[in-house]
Amino acid sequence: MAENQVVVVVVINRRLKMKIIIIVVVLFISLVGFSQTTNKEYKKRVLETAEVDILSSFYSQDGDNASVTGGIGTEKLTDLATNFTVSIPLNDDDVFTVDATISAYTSASSSNLNPFDANGSGLVYYENGENDHDKSSNKNGNPIAATSGASSAVLSNNTLVSGGASPWYESTGASKSDVWVNGTFNYSHSSDNRNTILNADASFAKEFDYTSIGIGGGLTKLFNEKNTEIGLKANVYLDTWNPRYPTEIHSYLTANQNLNNGFFSGVDILNQSGNIIDKNGTNVWSPINTTLVDNNARNTYSLSVSFSQILSKKTQVSLFFDLVQQDGWLANPMQRVYFADRDNYYIGNASNIPNYTSPTNTNVFQLADDIERLPNSRLKLPIGIRFNQYINEAVTLRTYFRYYYDDWGVKSSTAEIELPIKISDKFTFYPSYRYYTQTAADYFAPFEQHLSTEEFYTSDYDLSKFNSNQVGVGLSYTDIFAKSHIWKLGLKSIDLKYNSYKRNTGLKAGIISAGLKFVMD
Amino acid sequence: MIKKIGLLLLIGSLTTSCVAVKEYEKVYLNDPDMLLSAKKSNKFVTSFQVYREAASGANGGKSGGGCGCN
Repeated sequence: MAENQVVVVVVINRRLKMKIIIIVVVLFISLVGFSQTTNKEYKKRVLETAEVDILSSFYSQDGDNASVTGGIGTEKLTDLATNFTVSIPLNDDDVFTVDATISAYTSASSSNLNPFDANGSGLVYYENGENDHDKSSNKNGNPIAATSGASSAVLSNNTLVSGGASPWYESTGASKSDVWVNGTFNYSHSSDNRNTILNADASFAKEFDYTSIGIGGGLTKLFNEKNTEIGLKANVYLDTWNPRYPTEIHSYLTANQNLNNGFFSGVDILNQSGNIIDKNGTNVWSPINTTLVDNNARNTYSLSVSFSQILSKKTQVSLFFDLVQQDGWLANPMQRVYFADRDNYYIGNASNIPNYTSPTNTNVFQLADDIERLPNSRLKLPIGIRFNQYINEAVTLRTYFRYYYDDWGVKSSTAEIELPIKISDKFTFYPSYRYYTQTAADYFAPFEQHLSTEEFYTSDYDLSKFNSNQVGVGLSYTDIFAKSHIWKLGLKSIDLKYNSYKRNTGLKAGIISAGLKFVMD
Repeated sequence: MIKKIGLLLLIGSLTTSCVAVKEYEKVYLNDPDMLLSAKKSNKFVTSFQVYREAASGANGGKSGGGCGCN
Protein backbone atom coordinates (compact mmCIF):
# COMPACT_ATOMS: atom_id res chain seq x y z
CA MET A 1 0.00 0.00 0.00
CA ALA A 2 2.72 2.42 1.05
CA GLU A 3 4.77 1.50 -2.02
CA ASN A 4 1.76 2.19 -4.24
CA GLN A 5 1.33 5.60 -2.62
CA VAL A 6 5.00 6.42 -3.23
CA VAL A 7 4.66 5.38 -6.87
CA VAL A 8 1.56 7.57 -7.27
CA VAL A 9 3.33 10.58 -5.70
CA VAL A 10 6.37 10.09 -7.95
CA VAL A 11 4.15 9.86 -11.04
CA ILE A 12 2.23 13.00 -10.00
CA ASN A 13 5.47 14.90 -9.40
CA ARG A 14 6.82 13.86 -12.81
CA ARG A 15 3.59 14.93 -14.51
CA LEU A 16 3.63 18.24 -12.66
CA LYS A 17 7.22 18.94 -13.66
CA MET A 18 6.51 17.98 -17.28
CA LYS A 19 3.49 20.27 -17.35
CA ILE A 20 5.49 23.20 -16.00
CA ILE A 21 8.28 22.60 -18.55
CA ILE A 22 5.72 22.39 -21.38
CA ILE A 23 4.09 25.63 -20.22
CA VAL A 24 7.47 27.40 -20.22
CA VAL A 25 8.21 26.16 -23.76
CA VAL A 26 4.75 27.13 -25.06
CA LEU A 27 5.03 30.60 -23.54
CA PHE A 28 8.41 31.08 -25.20
CA ILE A 29 7.10 30.01 -28.60
CA SER A 30 4.06 32.26 -28.19
CA LEU A 31 6.31 35.19 -27.33
CA VAL A 32 8.40 34.72 -30.48
CA GLY A 33 5.26 34.52 -32.62
CA PHE A 34 3.69 37.56 -31.01
CA SER A 35 6.78 39.71 -31.32
CA GLN A 36 6.74 39.27 -35.12
CA THR A 37 3.33 40.86 -35.61
CA THR A 38 3.21 44.44 -36.89
CA ASN A 39 0.71 47.23 -36.51
CA LYS A 40 0.85 50.72 -37.99
CA GLU A 41 -1.91 52.22 -35.84
CA TYR A 42 -1.00 54.81 -33.23
CA LYS A 43 -0.59 53.35 -29.81
CA LYS A 44 0.85 54.53 -26.55
CA ARG A 45 4.25 53.06 -25.82
CA VAL A 46 4.29 50.48 -23.05
CA LEU A 47 7.33 52.22 -21.62
CA GLU A 48 7.95 55.79 -22.76
CA THR A 49 11.63 55.95 -21.93
CA ALA A 50 14.36 53.86 -20.35
CA GLU A 51 14.24 53.56 -16.58
CA VAL A 52 17.03 52.82 -14.13
CA ASP A 53 16.43 51.63 -10.57
CA ILE A 54 19.21 51.40 -8.00
CA LEU A 55 18.46 49.77 -4.68
CA SER A 56 20.88 49.18 -1.82
CA SER A 57 20.33 47.60 1.55
CA PHE A 58 22.18 46.73 4.72
CA TYR A 59 20.88 43.78 6.72
CA SER A 60 21.99 42.72 10.17
CA GLN A 61 20.79 39.89 12.42
CA ASP A 62 21.73 38.12 15.63
CA GLY A 63 20.36 35.18 17.55
CA ASP A 64 21.32 32.05 19.48
CA ASN A 65 20.23 29.20 17.19
CA ALA A 66 22.81 28.89 14.45
CA SER A 67 22.00 26.03 12.11
CA VAL A 68 25.63 25.39 11.05
CA THR A 69 26.40 24.49 14.67
CA GLY A 70 23.34 22.31 15.18
CA GLY A 71 20.77 24.79 16.50
CA ILE A 72 22.86 26.61 19.09
CA GLY A 73 25.43 29.34 18.66
CA THR A 74 25.67 32.82 17.30
CA GLU A 75 23.55 33.72 14.28
CA LYS A 76 25.31 37.05 13.78
CA LEU A 77 25.18 38.00 10.12
CA THR A 78 25.49 41.15 8.06
CA ASP A 79 24.72 41.57 4.39
CA LEU A 80 25.30 44.50 2.06
CA ALA A 81 23.43 44.25 -1.22
CA THR A 82 22.91 46.40 -4.29
CA ASN A 83 20.55 45.89 -7.17
CA PHE A 84 20.46 47.59 -10.55
CA THR A 85 17.46 47.30 -12.82
CA VAL A 86 17.47 48.80 -16.29
CA SER A 87 14.30 48.69 -18.38
CA ILE A 88 14.69 49.60 -22.04
CA PRO A 89 11.78 50.12 -24.46
CA LEU A 90 12.76 48.37 -27.70
CA ASN A 91 9.73 49.71 -29.56
CA ASP A 92 6.13 50.61 -28.77
CA ASP A 93 5.33 47.09 -27.56
CA ASP A 94 8.48 45.46 -26.29
CA VAL A 95 10.54 46.06 -23.18
CA PHE A 96 13.87 44.46 -22.28
CA THR A 97 14.83 44.47 -18.61
CA VAL A 98 18.16 43.61 -17.03
CA ASP A 99 18.22 43.05 -13.30
CA ALA A 100 21.58 42.55 -11.56
CA THR A 101 22.26 42.08 -7.86
CA ILE A 102 25.46 41.73 -5.89
CA SER A 103 25.29 40.81 -2.25
CA ALA A 104 28.23 40.47 0.16
CA TYR A 105 27.70 38.87 3.55
CA THR A 106 29.67 37.97 6.64
CA SER A 107 28.18 35.22 8.78
CA ALA A 108 29.35 33.94 12.15
CA SER A 109 27.25 30.83 11.69
CA SER A 110 28.70 30.01 8.27
CA SER A 111 32.19 30.78 9.55
CA ASN A 112 31.83 27.85 11.92
CA LEU A 113 31.72 25.44 9.03
CA ASN A 114 35.35 25.30 10.14
CA PRO A 115 35.35 26.56 13.72
CA PHE A 116 38.97 25.57 14.14
CA ASP A 117 40.35 28.25 11.83
CA ALA A 118 43.82 27.80 10.41
CA ASN A 119 45.15 26.54 13.70
CA GLY A 120 43.97 22.98 13.27
CA SER A 121 42.16 22.59 16.55
CA GLY A 122 41.72 26.32 16.84
CA LEU A 123 43.09 26.40 20.33
CA VAL A 124 45.96 28.68 21.16
CA TYR A 125 48.18 28.64 24.22
CA TYR A 126 50.22 31.47 25.52
CA GLU A 127 53.05 31.08 27.93
CA ASN A 128 52.18 34.31 29.68
CA GLY A 129 48.43 34.20 29.69
CA GLU A 130 47.61 36.86 27.10
CA ASN A 131 44.02 36.89 26.04
CA ASP A 132 43.34 37.32 22.37
CA HIS A 133 41.14 35.16 20.21
CA ASP A 134 42.84 35.94 16.97
CA LYS A 135 46.38 35.30 17.99
CA SER A 136 48.09 32.25 16.62
CA SER A 137 51.49 33.14 17.96
CA ASN A 138 52.93 33.72 21.39
CA LYS A 139 54.06 37.01 22.85
CA ASN A 140 57.28 36.80 20.91
CA GLY A 141 55.44 36.19 17.70
CA ASN A 142 56.31 32.52 17.48
CA PRO A 143 53.51 30.27 16.21
CA ILE A 144 52.17 27.86 18.75
CA ALA A 145 51.20 24.38 17.70
CA ALA A 146 47.56 23.46 17.78
CA THR A 147 46.53 21.37 20.70
CA SER A 148 43.47 20.82 22.76
CA GLY A 149 42.23 22.10 26.04
CA ALA A 150 42.65 18.89 27.94
CA SER A 151 46.32 18.98 27.12
CA SER A 152 46.79 22.09 29.21
CA ALA A 153 47.32 19.84 32.18
CA VAL A 154 50.21 18.27 30.33
CA LEU A 155 51.60 21.56 29.09
CA SER A 156 52.44 22.69 32.58
CA ASN A 157 54.27 25.81 31.38
CA ASN A 158 51.40 26.98 29.21
CA THR A 159 48.13 28.49 30.21
CA LEU A 160 45.07 28.13 28.01
CA VAL A 161 43.53 31.55 27.62
CA SER A 162 41.37 31.39 24.58
CA GLY A 163 40.23 29.13 21.85
CA GLY A 164 37.85 30.35 19.20
CA ALA A 165 36.45 26.91 18.47
CA SER A 166 32.99 27.50 19.85
CA PRO A 167 29.50 27.81 18.39
CA TRP A 168 29.36 31.16 20.14
CA TYR A 169 32.44 32.56 18.55
CA GLU A 170 32.94 33.67 14.95
CA SER A 171 35.68 31.78 13.20
CA THR A 172 38.07 33.39 10.73
CA GLY A 173 37.73 30.60 8.17
CA ALA A 174 37.03 31.08 4.46
CA SER A 175 33.32 30.44 4.89
CA LYS A 176 33.04 33.55 7.08
CA SER A 177 32.05 35.66 4.08
CA ASP A 178 30.91 35.30 0.53
CA VAL A 179 29.56 37.22 -2.42
CA TRP A 180 26.34 36.29 -4.17
CA VAL A 181 25.72 37.59 -7.69
CA ASN A 182 22.55 37.35 -9.69
CA GLY A 183 21.47 38.42 -13.15
CA THR A 184 17.99 38.23 -14.65
CA PHE A 185 17.04 39.13 -18.20
CA ASN A 186 13.41 39.69 -19.06
CA TYR A 187 11.73 40.37 -22.38
CA SER A 188 8.09 41.38 -22.52
CA HIS A 189 5.74 41.97 -25.40
CA SER A 190 2.34 43.65 -25.23
CA SER A 191 -0.36 43.22 -27.85
CA ASP A 192 -1.66 46.23 -29.78
CA ASN A 193 -4.74 46.56 -27.61
CA ARG A 194 -2.57 45.99 -24.51
CA ASN A 195 -4.86 43.22 -23.35
CA THR A 196 -2.24 40.50 -23.75
CA ILE A 197 1.26 40.55 -22.32
CA LEU A 198 3.80 37.83 -22.88
CA ASN A 199 7.14 37.68 -21.18
CA ALA A 200 10.15 35.41 -20.97
CA ASP A 201 13.02 35.51 -18.55
CA ALA A 202 16.34 33.83 -17.89
CA SER A 203 18.36 34.10 -14.71
CA PHE A 204 21.71 33.12 -13.27
CA ALA A 205 22.93 33.21 -9.67
CA LYS A 206 26.22 32.16 -8.16
CA GLU A 207 27.80 31.91 -4.73
CA PHE A 208 30.76 29.86 -3.57
CA ASP A 209 28.84 26.64 -2.94
CA TYR A 210 25.78 27.12 -5.12
CA THR A 211 24.83 27.92 -8.71
CA SER A 212 21.35 28.57 -10.03
CA ILE A 213 20.12 28.78 -13.62
CA GLY A 214 16.52 29.71 -14.28
CA ILE A 215 14.21 30.07 -17.24
CA GLY A 216 10.59 31.10 -17.31
CA GLY A 217 7.70 32.57 -19.18
CA GLY A 218 4.43 34.29 -18.43
CA LEU A 219 1.14 35.24 -20.04
CA THR A 220 -1.15 37.99 -18.77
CA LYS A 221 -4.62 38.63 -20.18
CA LEU A 222 -6.77 41.67 -19.38
CA PHE A 223 -10.56 41.67 -19.77
CA ASN A 224 -13.59 43.74 -18.94
CA GLU A 225 -12.11 47.10 -19.97
CA LYS A 226 -8.92 46.18 -18.17
CA ASN A 227 -10.82 45.73 -14.91
CA THR A 228 -9.93 42.05 -14.72
CA GLU A 229 -6.49 40.54 -15.13
CA ILE A 230 -5.43 36.91 -15.17
CA GLY A 231 -1.78 35.93 -15.18
CA LEU A 232 -0.04 32.63 -15.66
CA LYS A 233 3.67 32.21 -15.03
CA ALA A 234 5.93 29.17 -15.11
CA ASN A 235 9.55 28.92 -14.07
CA VAL A 236 12.18 26.21 -13.91
CA TYR A 237 15.34 26.62 -11.82
CA LEU A 238 18.15 24.14 -12.29
CA ASP A 239 20.45 24.58 -9.30
CA THR A 240 23.71 22.86 -8.46
CA TRP A 241 25.49 22.41 -5.16
CA ASN A 242 29.23 22.66 -4.85
CA PRO A 243 28.89 21.21 -1.35
CA ARG A 244 30.95 22.28 1.62
CA TYR A 245 30.83 20.22 4.81
CA PRO A 246 31.53 20.71 8.51
CA THR A 247 35.30 20.48 8.74
CA GLU A 248 35.45 17.58 11.21
CA ILE A 249 33.22 15.38 9.03
CA HIS A 250 35.05 16.25 5.83
CA SER A 251 38.42 15.82 7.54
CA TYR A 252 37.38 12.46 9.01
CA LEU A 253 36.54 11.14 5.54
CA THR A 254 39.67 12.55 3.89
CA ALA A 255 41.78 11.05 6.73
CA ASN A 256 40.39 7.63 5.80
CA GLN A 257 38.29 7.57 8.98
CA ASN A 258 41.47 7.41 11.06
CA LEU A 259 41.56 9.80 14.02
CA ASN A 260 45.36 9.63 14.05
CA ASN A 261 45.60 10.99 10.51
CA GLY A 262 45.36 14.37 8.83
CA PHE A 263 43.43 17.06 10.66
CA PHE A 264 43.05 14.92 13.77
CA SER A 265 46.74 14.05 14.05
CA GLY A 266 48.04 15.38 17.37
CA VAL A 267 44.66 16.78 18.36
CA ASP A 268 43.06 15.47 21.53
CA ILE A 269 39.40 14.50 21.49
CA LEU A 270 37.49 14.76 24.76
CA ASN A 271 34.49 12.80 25.98
CA GLN A 272 31.54 14.26 27.89
CA SER A 273 33.53 14.03 31.15
CA GLY A 274 36.33 16.07 29.63
CA ASN A 275 38.77 13.16 29.51
CA ILE A 276 40.98 12.56 26.50
CA ILE A 277 39.78 9.50 24.63
CA ASP A 278 41.97 6.71 23.32
CA LYS A 279 41.69 7.22 19.56
CA ASN A 280 42.52 3.57 19.01
CA GLY A 281 39.85 2.39 21.45
CA THR A 282 36.28 1.36 20.83
CA ASN A 283 34.52 4.43 22.24
CA VAL A 284 35.62 7.04 19.74
CA TRP A 285 33.90 9.78 17.82
CA SER A 286 32.73 9.15 14.27
CA PRO A 287 29.99 10.70 12.15
CA ILE A 288 26.95 8.47 11.72
CA ASN A 289 27.13 8.60 7.91
CA THR A 290 30.09 8.37 5.60
CA THR A 291 27.97 9.20 2.55
CA LEU A 292 27.46 12.92 2.10
CA VAL A 293 25.77 14.74 -0.79
CA ASP A 294 25.20 12.11 -3.47
CA ASN A 295 23.16 14.33 -5.77
CA ASN A 296 24.40 17.85 -6.45
CA ALA A 297 21.22 18.93 -8.22
CA ARG A 298 18.39 20.90 -6.68
CA ASN A 299 15.62 21.74 -9.14
CA THR A 300 12.58 23.92 -8.67
CA TYR A 301 9.48 23.93 -10.89
CA SER A 302 6.97 26.65 -10.18
CA LEU A 303 3.61 27.55 -11.62
CA SER A 304 1.97 30.82 -10.58
CA VAL A 305 -1.57 31.95 -11.27
CA SER A 306 -2.78 35.44 -10.44
CA PHE A 307 -6.19 37.08 -10.65
CA SER A 308 -6.71 40.82 -10.21
CA GLN A 309 -10.00 42.65 -10.13
CA ILE A 310 -10.93 46.31 -9.89
CA LEU A 311 -13.84 46.51 -7.46
CA SER A 312 -14.52 50.25 -7.59
CA LYS A 313 -12.79 53.50 -8.53
CA LYS A 314 -10.84 53.25 -5.29
CA THR A 315 -10.61 49.54 -4.56
CA GLN A 316 -8.81 46.62 -6.13
CA VAL A 317 -7.87 43.12 -5.13
CA SER A 318 -5.49 40.38 -6.29
CA LEU A 319 -5.32 36.67 -5.65
CA PHE A 320 -2.08 34.73 -6.09
CA PHE A 321 -1.64 31.00 -6.15
CA ASP A 322 1.71 29.21 -6.57
CA LEU A 323 2.43 25.55 -7.00
CA VAL A 324 6.09 24.80 -6.41
CA GLN A 325 7.76 21.41 -6.71
CA GLN A 326 11.37 20.98 -5.62
CA ASP A 327 13.56 17.95 -5.94
CA GLY A 328 17.19 17.03 -5.48
CA TRP A 329 19.42 17.76 -2.46
CA LEU A 330 17.13 20.01 -0.44
CA ALA A 331 19.15 19.90 2.79
CA ASN A 332 22.04 22.25 3.44
CA PRO A 333 25.27 20.20 3.73
CA MET A 334 26.85 22.91 5.91
CA GLN A 335 24.41 22.35 8.77
CA ARG A 336 25.33 20.03 11.66
CA VAL A 337 23.04 17.74 13.62
CA TYR A 338 23.71 16.24 17.07
CA PHE A 339 21.83 13.16 18.28
CA ALA A 340 20.56 12.60 21.79
CA ASP A 341 21.31 8.87 21.69
CA ARG A 342 24.98 9.14 20.71
CA ASP A 343 27.93 9.95 22.93
CA ASN A 344 29.29 13.47 22.72
CA TYR A 345 32.88 14.29 21.82
CA TYR A 346 34.69 17.61 21.85
CA ILE A 347 37.83 19.43 20.88
CA GLY A 348 38.89 22.25 23.15
CA ASN A 349 38.79 23.27 26.77
CA ALA A 350 37.35 20.50 28.95
CA SER A 351 36.27 22.90 31.67
CA ASN A 352 33.76 24.54 29.30
CA ILE A 353 31.96 21.33 28.31
CA PRO A 354 29.30 21.77 31.03
CA ASN A 355 28.68 25.29 29.64
CA TYR A 356 28.62 24.17 26.02
CA THR A 357 25.19 25.62 25.23
CA SER A 358 25.96 28.91 27.00
CA PRO A 359 27.40 31.95 25.22
CA THR A 360 30.08 31.95 27.94
CA ASN A 361 31.64 28.98 26.15
CA THR A 362 34.39 30.41 24.00
CA ASN A 363 36.75 27.50 23.52
CA VAL A 364 35.23 24.07 23.20
CA PHE A 365 33.48 22.61 20.17
CA GLN A 366 31.34 19.49 19.90
CA LEU A 367 32.05 17.20 16.96
CA ALA A 368 29.00 16.69 14.73
CA ASP A 369 27.08 13.44 14.43
CA ASP A 370 25.96 14.22 10.89
CA ILE A 371 24.92 16.88 8.43
CA GLU A 372 21.20 17.59 8.20
CA ARG A 373 19.20 15.17 6.07
CA LEU A 374 15.91 16.09 4.42
CA PRO A 375 13.65 14.45 1.84
CA ASN A 376 14.62 14.90 -1.80
CA SER A 377 11.20 16.26 -2.71
CA ARG A 378 9.08 19.15 -1.45
CA LEU A 379 5.73 20.47 -2.64
CA LYS A 380 4.82 24.04 -1.66
CA LEU A 381 1.37 25.56 -1.99
CA PRO A 382 1.11 29.24 -1.06
CA ILE A 383 -2.02 31.30 -1.73
CA GLY A 384 -2.15 35.02 -1.16
CA ILE A 385 -4.57 37.90 -1.41
CA ARG A 386 -3.77 41.57 -1.70
CA PHE A 387 -6.43 44.21 -1.07
CA ASN A 388 -5.77 47.90 -1.69
CA GLN A 389 -8.08 50.78 -0.83
CA TYR A 390 -7.56 54.41 -1.79
CA ILE A 391 -9.06 56.06 1.30
CA ASN A 392 -8.54 59.70 0.40
CA GLU A 393 -5.95 61.99 -1.15
CA ALA A 394 -3.71 61.57 1.87
CA VAL A 395 -4.07 57.95 2.89
CA THR A 396 -4.03 54.60 1.08
CA LEU A 397 -4.55 51.20 2.68
CA ARG A 398 -2.44 48.27 1.46
CA THR A 399 -3.08 44.83 2.92
CA TYR A 400 -1.77 41.34 2.21
CA PHE A 401 -2.54 37.91 3.58
CA ARG A 402 -0.94 34.59 2.67
CA TYR A 403 -1.60 31.03 3.72
CA TYR A 404 1.15 28.51 3.01
CA TYR A 405 1.23 24.73 3.12
CA ASP A 406 3.97 22.27 2.22
CA ASP A 407 4.36 18.50 2.45
CA TRP A 408 7.17 18.81 5.02
CA GLY A 409 4.56 19.74 7.61
CA VAL A 410 4.98 23.50 7.51
CA LYS A 411 1.84 25.61 7.58
CA SER A 412 2.11 29.33 7.88
CA SER A 413 0.07 32.51 7.80
CA THR A 414 1.29 35.98 6.95
CA ALA A 415 -0.62 39.22 7.49
CA GLU A 416 0.72 42.57 6.41
CA ILE A 417 -0.61 46.10 6.44
CA GLU A 418 0.90 49.29 5.08
CA LEU A 419 -0.61 52.73 5.33
CA PRO A 420 1.04 55.17 2.90
CA ILE A 421 0.40 58.74 4.07
CA LYS A 422 1.07 61.59 1.67
CA ILE A 423 2.52 64.39 3.74
CA SER A 424 3.03 66.71 0.77
CA ASP A 425 2.83 66.50 -3.00
CA LYS A 426 6.33 65.04 -3.08
CA PHE A 427 6.77 63.16 0.20
CA THR A 428 4.98 60.03 1.41
CA PHE A 429 5.42 58.35 4.78
CA TYR A 430 5.15 54.55 4.92
CA PRO A 431 4.38 52.90 8.28
CA SER A 432 3.91 49.12 8.04
CA TYR A 433 3.40 46.05 10.19
CA ARG A 434 3.74 42.35 9.36
CA TYR A 435 2.88 39.31 11.45
CA TYR A 436 4.10 35.85 10.48
CA THR A 437 3.58 32.46 12.09
CA GLN A 438 4.57 28.94 11.06
CA THR A 439 4.44 25.40 12.37
CA ALA A 440 7.60 23.30 12.54
CA ALA A 441 8.67 21.02 9.73
CA ASP A 442 8.20 17.33 10.56
CA TYR A 443 11.97 16.90 10.54
CA PHE A 444 12.92 19.68 12.94
CA ALA A 445 14.17 19.18 16.49
CA PRO A 446 16.44 21.40 18.60
CA PHE A 447 20.07 20.74 19.51
CA GLU A 448 20.67 17.19 20.84
CA GLN A 449 17.01 16.16 20.54
CA HIS A 450 17.06 14.13 17.34
CA LEU A 451 17.52 10.37 17.47
CA SER A 452 19.95 8.56 15.20
CA THR A 453 17.16 6.19 14.18
CA GLU A 454 15.35 8.98 12.32
CA GLU A 455 15.58 9.07 8.53
CA PHE A 456 15.40 12.85 8.19
CA TYR A 457 16.58 15.50 10.63
CA THR A 458 17.47 19.17 10.87
CA SER A 459 18.08 21.68 13.66
CA ASP A 460 17.63 24.67 11.39
CA TYR A 461 15.41 27.10 13.32
CA ASP A 462 14.13 28.55 10.05
CA LEU A 463 12.13 25.29 9.93
CA SER A 464 11.04 25.45 13.59
CA LYS A 465 7.75 26.61 15.01
CA PHE A 466 7.86 30.36 15.54
CA ASN A 467 6.12 33.64 14.99
CA SER A 468 7.60 36.99 14.10
CA ASN A 469 6.69 40.65 14.16
CA GLN A 470 8.04 43.16 11.71
CA VAL A 471 7.62 46.91 12.01
CA GLY A 472 8.68 49.24 9.24
CA VAL A 473 8.87 52.91 8.44
CA GLY A 474 9.71 54.52 5.16
CA LEU A 475 9.86 57.85 3.42
CA SER A 476 9.69 58.46 -0.29
CA TYR A 477 10.31 61.52 -2.40
CA THR A 478 8.70 61.65 -5.83
CA ASP A 479 9.22 64.18 -8.59
CA ILE A 480 6.99 63.18 -11.47
CA PHE A 481 8.75 65.70 -13.72
CA ALA A 482 12.22 64.33 -12.85
CA LYS A 483 13.77 67.80 -12.79
CA SER A 484 16.98 66.85 -10.96
CA HIS A 485 19.53 65.28 -13.28
CA ILE A 486 22.62 63.12 -13.16
CA TRP A 487 24.06 62.96 -16.67
CA LYS A 488 21.04 62.11 -18.90
CA LEU A 489 19.10 60.54 -16.07
CA GLY A 490 16.28 62.44 -14.42
CA LEU A 491 15.65 61.59 -10.76
CA LYS A 492 12.08 60.41 -10.41
CA SER A 493 11.98 59.09 -6.85
CA ILE A 494 13.96 58.30 -3.71
CA ASP A 495 12.85 55.63 -1.23
CA LEU A 496 14.24 55.12 2.26
CA LYS A 497 13.02 52.27 4.46
CA TYR A 498 13.85 50.62 7.74
CA ASN A 499 12.35 47.38 9.03
CA SER A 500 12.83 45.79 12.43
CA TYR A 501 12.16 42.04 12.66
CA LYS A 502 11.82 39.98 15.86
CA ARG A 503 11.21 36.27 16.12
CA ASN A 504 10.00 34.63 19.33
CA THR A 505 12.96 32.23 19.07
CA GLY A 506 15.19 35.21 19.92
CA LEU A 507 16.37 36.13 16.43
CA LYS A 508 16.44 39.88 15.85
CA ALA A 509 17.11 41.55 12.54
CA GLY A 510 17.09 44.97 10.98
CA ILE A 511 17.27 46.07 7.37
CA ILE A 512 17.72 49.54 5.98
CA SER A 513 17.32 50.16 2.28
CA ALA A 514 17.61 53.09 -0.08
CA GLY A 515 16.31 53.19 -3.63
CA LEU A 516 16.70 55.65 -6.48
CA LYS A 517 14.63 55.67 -9.64
CA PHE A 518 15.79 57.49 -12.76
CA VAL A 519 14.22 58.04 -16.15
CA MET A 520 16.28 58.60 -19.27
CA ASP A 521 15.79 61.94 -21.06
CA MET B 1 -6.00 24.13 4.25
CA ILE B 2 -8.72 23.55 1.65
CA LYS B 3 -11.18 25.50 3.83
CA LYS B 4 -8.81 28.46 4.06
CA ILE B 5 -8.14 28.44 0.32
CA GLY B 6 -11.88 28.19 -0.30
CA LEU B 7 -12.50 31.10 2.02
CA LEU B 8 -9.97 33.25 0.17
CA LEU B 9 -11.52 32.37 -3.19
CA LEU B 10 -14.99 33.09 -1.80
CA ILE B 11 -13.90 36.51 -0.55
CA GLY B 12 -12.38 37.21 -3.95
CA SER B 13 -15.48 36.21 -5.88
CA LEU B 14 -17.92 37.97 -3.56
CA THR B 15 -16.05 41.22 -3.84
CA THR B 16 -15.96 41.16 -7.64
CA SER B 17 -17.69 44.19 -9.09
CA CYS B 18 -20.20 43.92 -11.94
CA VAL B 19 -19.67 47.47 -13.20
CA ALA B 20 -16.46 48.12 -15.08
CA VAL B 21 -14.45 51.19 -14.12
CA LYS B 22 -13.56 53.22 -17.22
CA GLU B 23 -10.00 54.17 -18.07
CA TYR B 24 -10.60 57.84 -17.29
CA GLU B 25 -11.99 56.86 -13.88
CA LYS B 26 -8.83 55.06 -12.81
CA VAL B 27 -6.92 58.05 -11.49
CA TYR B 28 -6.98 56.72 -7.91
CA LEU B 29 -6.27 53.15 -8.98
CA ASN B 30 -3.23 54.33 -10.94
CA ASP B 31 -1.68 55.84 -7.82
CA PRO B 32 1.72 54.12 -7.29
CA ASP B 33 0.65 53.12 -3.77
CA MET B 34 -2.28 51.14 -5.21
CA LEU B 35 0.09 48.74 -6.99
CA LEU B 36 -1.19 45.17 -6.67
CA SER B 37 2.19 43.54 -6.14
CA ALA B 38 5.13 43.78 -3.80
CA LYS B 39 7.01 47.04 -4.26
CA LYS B 40 10.41 47.10 -5.91
CA SER B 41 11.83 48.91 -2.88
CA ASN B 42 10.87 45.87 -0.76
CA LYS B 43 12.99 43.48 -2.83
CA PHE B 44 15.65 42.88 -0.17
CA VAL B 45 13.11 42.77 2.65
CA THR B 46 11.33 39.96 0.82
CA SER B 47 14.68 38.25 0.21
CA PHE B 48 15.57 38.08 3.91
CA GLN B 49 12.07 36.86 4.76
CA VAL B 50 12.48 34.03 2.24
CA TYR B 51 15.81 33.12 3.89
CA ARG B 52 14.57 33.30 7.48
CA GLU B 53 11.12 31.72 7.04
CA ALA B 54 9.96 28.39 5.66
CA ALA B 55 7.15 29.92 3.62
CA SER B 56 7.55 31.88 0.42
CA GLY B 57 5.72 32.78 -2.75
CA ALA B 58 2.20 33.91 -3.65
CA ASN B 59 3.16 37.56 -3.69
CA GLY B 60 3.56 38.11 -7.40
CA GLY B 61 7.33 37.63 -7.22
CA LYS B 62 9.91 34.89 -7.62
CA SER B 63 8.83 31.47 -6.33
CA GLY B 64 11.95 29.36 -6.34
CA GLY B 65 15.59 28.91 -7.14
CA GLY B 66 18.59 30.01 -5.13
CA CYS B 67 20.09 28.59 -2.00
CA GLY B 68 18.84 30.54 1.00
CA CYS B 69 21.73 29.10 2.95
CA ASN B 70 22.77 31.90 5.27
